[in-house]
Amino acid sequence: MTATDPSAPPPAPVRASRRHDLDDVLRAEYRLLLRSVCTPGRIVALGALAGISLLTAVATRLGTLADPLADAVGYVNANVATLIPVAMLVLGAATLGDLIEDGSMVYLWLRPVPTWIHVLAAWMATVTVGIPLVLAPVLLGTAIVHVDGVLLVSAAVAGLVAIAAYAALFVAAGIRFRRALPWGLVYILIWEGFVASAGKTATKLAIRSYVRSILTSLTDVELKLADFSLGVGVIVPLLAGLAALAYASRRLARTDVA
Amino acid sequence: MSSAAATTAPMIEVDAASKWFGDVVAVSDVSFAIGPGVTALLGPNGAGKSTLLRMLCGLTPPDRGAVRILGADPRTDLAVRRRLSIVPQQEAMFEAYSALRFVRLAAVLNGVADPDAVARHALRVVELDPDDPRSTTTYSKGMKQRVKVAQALVNDPAVMVLDEPLTGLDPRQRNHLIDLFGRLGAEGRCVIVSSHVLDEVERFGSRILVVAQGRLAATGDFHAIRNLMDDRPHRIRVRTDRPRELATEVMRSVGVQAVELEPEAPGRPGGFVVETTDAPRFRRAIATASQDVAASLLEVTPLDDDLDSVFRYLVGR
Repeated sequence: MTATDPSAPPPAPVRASRRHDLDDVLRAEYRLLLRSVCTPGRIVALGALAGISLLTAVATRLGTLADPLADAVGYVNANVATLIPVAMLVLGAATLGDLIEDGSMVYLWLRPVPTWIHVLAAWMATVTVGIPLVLAPVLLGTAIVHVDGVLLVSAAVAGLVAIAAYAALFVAAGIRFRRALPWGLVYILIWEGFVASAGKTATKLAIRSYVRSILTSLTDVELKLADFSLGVGVIVPLLAGLAALAYASRRLARTDVA
Repeated sequence: MSSAAATTAPMIEVDAASKWFGDVVAVSDVSFAIGPGVTALLGPNGAGKSTLLRMLCGLTPPDRGAVRILGADPRTDLAVRRRLSIVPQQEAMFEAYSALRFVRLAAVLNGVADPDAVARHALRVVELDPDDPRSTTTYSKGMKQRVKVAQALVNDPAVMVLDEPLTGLDPRQRNHLIDLFGRLGAEGRCVIVSSHVLDEVERFGSRILVVAQGRLAATGDFHAIRNLMDDRPHRIRVRTDRPRELATEVMRSVGVQAVELEPEAPGRPGGFVVETTDAPRFRRAIATASQDVAASLLEVTPLDDDLDSVFRYLVGR
């Protein structure tokens, strides 16, 4: 800034180092997106879904428990299939998708910042909100159904992997699709819930199958179409998430910004 | 601002750029080059001004042709974005952020070493209180416009692209920002401002780009453009104490196509309006003619030498 203000000496905009720049930028964007994604409406809606999940856990606990461990794994599996992907869809698609929709993306895009920083910040914000909002209630619900150390660890690992992968997938969807919510629901309900359950080949293309395999590997409770090893169950969803983030960065660099 | 002032090559170069959305041609084969100073971009709604400005910033690529900012492609060259800023047309900013936080974020993203001080300074430049804790969502449209201008100042830009920056401002703030843009241009920055309010644009200076139906209708000094429009007769009003006699005399002048008498009215002397294809020659001829008929010249005023007339001619309105 220069003498555009006659009353104040302008501070010189000395550039910091590139590394320092990117650290600051990532932190600033993370805070911005964290704040913008946490709207009261989303918090209430997802909180209500988490509440329903907890009520299901209580109902399961109060019912006849032939095999409490199997019932608890079934509870985690059901949440990995529904609550976690839906919550990640609502949050992940909104982080950058909302900014693209209302035109405020221009204030991030037109900066000397690589697009992967925007995408990484969006993913971090989505995961940060997702952990307390859905993973914590799922772990609490698991403990309500059955208290077991290994079970809780497996639920935590499966939940974290699912959150990481779905968050990446739906951050990318928010950039790719103008209306990401219906597309995401089609993916969760039709593809993962129906098509990918049809056979062993199709199931390789569903994150849910890998997360389910983590639960089976750690608890030894059999689940349908959970045939992958623990390593594959952890690594493949994370690689898929990484690929989704790379695609999102590339797509964002090439997108038309309003 | 030293870097921009030292630049002698065109700071913005657009070479045969075209952009279309489906079957709609938004910008068609536009070429121009501009350097330091303020340039006004004019055009009716839907003429392609915003698309052109978005192309200048790299926010959308041209489907054909090229755009260079400071010699680089703003779409792919991150380094040039450090020296480029935009005031976009849309109102949306980051909800729940105060003006200071919003402008400070812009400074951080631009790698400014002391973002807080720079953001405060930028807000003071546009006469906003940096310590106002309210979210910008509570601001009036005019205040939001000023916040948008402040965020465009933090990176010490060499090129500023301003899309309708005066919309919603009160007259005092309008004057303040017009002065500010003038100072930024005088400092050696390339400032391109789009507007549809012609009397304001006229105050930015006389350098204009006129876009109509996606095409560049004219570029340069609007007075010079008007003089080059030979097919449009200049309209000049003459007031005198002997209108009929003088009108008869000037009808003999070369280039005069029509004369329309204006009768005398209370508080206003009589006169006539001349249409001529050679305004400089007419101005010389009217002096001689008035002597010949012993008429006193009370007023000789061009009626269509303003930006509004030039604009209407160029866009066919």
